[in-house]
Amino acid sequence: MSRREPAWRVTARELESSLEEERATGERAASYLLSPFGARMNRVVLAGAISPAEPVGRDDPPTFWRARLTDPTGAIAVTAGSFQPVAMARLRATTETHPALVVGKVHLFRGRDGVAYISVRAEGVKSVAEADERAMLAEIVRQTLDRLDLVERLEREPGTSEAELVASGTPAGWIPAARDSLRRYPQVDRAAFRRELGAAVRRVAGDSGPRPSDTGTRPGVVVTRAPPPRPPAPPPTAEEREEEAAFLTLLDELSDVSIDGYADLKELTGRLAAQGVGAERAETVLNRLEEEGAVEEPIVGKLRRA
Amino acid sequence: MATAPPSAPPEVRLKDLAPTTSPVEIVGRVVTAERREVTRRSDGSRRPLLSGLLSDGTGTVRFTWWDPPREGIERGTVLRAVGAEVRTFRDRPELTFTFRTRVGPASEAELPRVTPEEIPLRAIRDLRPPDEGFRLEARVVRIAERTVTVGEERRVVHEGLLADASGVLAFSSWTDFRLAAGEALRVVGGYLRTFRGRPQLVLDERATVTRIGGEGLPEPAELLRAPPRPIARVEDEGGGEALAVEGIVVGLLPPSGLVYRCPICRRSLTGGICRIHGQVEGQPDLRARIVLDDGTGALTVNAGRADTERLWGRTLADARERMREVPDPNVLEQELADALLGRRLRVRGSGSRDDFGVTLQPDEIEPVEIDLEVAAAELSARLGTVRR
Repeated sequence: MSRREPAWRVTARELESSLEEERATGERAASYLLSPFGARMNRVVLAGAISPAEPVGRDDPPTFWRARLTDPTGAIAVTAGSFQPVAMARLRATTETHPALVVGKVHLFRGRDGVAYISVRAEGVKSVAEADERAMLAEIVRQTLDRLDLVERLEREPGTSEAELVASGTPAGWIPAARDSLRRYPQVDRAAFRRELGAAVRRVAGDSGPRPSDTGTRPGVVVTRAPPPRPPAPPPTAEEREEEAAFLTLLDELSDVSIDGYADLKELTGRLAAQGVGAERAETVLNRLEEEGAVEEPIVGKLRRA
Repeated sequence: MATAPPSAPPEVRLKDLAPTTSPVEIVGRVVTAERREVTRRSDGSRRPLLSGLLSDGTGTVRFTWWDPPREGIERGTVLRAVGAEVRTFRDRPELTFTFRTRVGPASEAELPRVTPEEIPLRAIRDLRPPDEGFRLEARVVRIAERTVTVGEERRVVHEGLLADASGVLAFSSWTDFRLAAGEALRVVGGYLRTFRGRPQLVLDERATVTRIGGEGLPEPAELLRAPPRPIARVEDEGGGEALAVEGIVVGLLPPSGLVYRCPICRRSLTGGICRIHGQVEGQPDLRARIVLDDGTGALTVNAGRADTERLWGRTLADARERMREVPDPNVLEQELADALLGRRLRVRGSGSRDDFGVTLQPDEIEPVEIDLEVAAAELSARLGTVRR
């Protein structure tokens, strides 16, 4: 019998802290993201404030959207593509930040710099009242603490038998997850994570929700359009150097006059197109500049000099 | 040591059956019987055999009968076998009837006279179809009458739940034992079958029911109001009776929303066609196949019309009206999914497991409200606790 993957109750912070993957090997086997705090996640549920979504990619109409879910501990990218039409429609329909629950599959992308980018591919997005968001958060924190207790117990008493734990009410699936966490994250500050959960508990108690602007620069939401690792490119030609120069000049001009100090990618590609550099060329130039470390994109669609 | 002469083998009770070199004589009732054919390797000819379980009230053993009669052997048939061979398979004795064995019909009266104390007492948790030949001491959790049509005949069947300290079991009784909820019983002569994917104890005219004191048996109220259990545990156990779980709705499975049912058997139609009765005039109905998840596991809850209407806040009539506006059942299903997603529900009912996981047939679905103040206080206390 195949089991449906349970939706692990997690905070954004726990997802952001997860770096270890368990890749599927067999046919139709699931992949898992392993957290330092005892979760072995394929499917997750989160509660927080969801921002309006932005389209990703160059398809017109867009076939992939990305929003950000912010909870009191951090923020995580929530995506939906044309393979999740209903969730995509929900993301697109979001016009302002509001409380929501998100159910979806975790997705880990490791950039060429080795940095892991975690996102949640939404299966369901539900706008809820604030009380419902807080109720879900309460369950998320409770189960997270249950898992932390289990991980710490297994660290103190590694010999504890599975039967004993199951008899005292521990879900059987949590035990290998906790043991894996201990093995694969030998150096983790769980006390610090517990402290961070305090913010979530204050939110359950009625604190106002997190402001999305607070979290704009958190590591978990840095997204790049980095392609998978590939062999080093041949040195650029003079023509390519010229395009790069034009790109950087435009970037400087745009960021000088923008309020937030970033150059808008759409505007930049528009101007490049006017100079005869097509969108595809512009993308190639951007990738190369990012690779060389000249330009970075800390927020989707927003560029600056590195 | 005196041994019986081979011409008069001793009649043995099945519980005393042990591997011997000499054939034995037994009397037993057929519990299950299945016909097969075995192809001989030497000449490719086919040889029929009948195999199944045989019970005499003291024990139940497997039997294999080479070249059995064409007909007349079915569940309930009492047989006397003289010269049966005893073999051991996986440390359990089995009977083989060969051409040397004389097998003939016998009467009920020839079965060993057994007092209830001689029959092994079994716990509900350890019972599996097609077990029989056990004694059960349990309490009636609930019972209700149902009229069913068996062939031409209309019969009343009494259905309910029995519980002991180890678990809960569904039963159906074709004889009116005048059972009432809360009574403690000693049941002898019942057998287990699988009904709609779940084990069920069947009581018929061969079963005897005695009222007992019932010390140590659970009270119906505690079972029917038991706190919810982790869904992972329910999945491990493969379902069961009088289950309670609590979780959030993470999705719906098709078919959900407005469905059309066969007027004869109530199955959902696919394209106006019932898979048993063919093309029929479908009757509209509402249902929701809810995926409920509590973080440890997930199961499907088959909500019927009343529950679906209550949770959705829309009636069947509303749904049909909506279909006239937007004639696309997917839109309706999606609206239902949106309405239910994320809802916290406590569900009581009976569950069965198949290849797709556990499905719960609900007796009761209740939305759950979380007391945020209590939750916040509990979580603060836990965070404040210093752990070494």
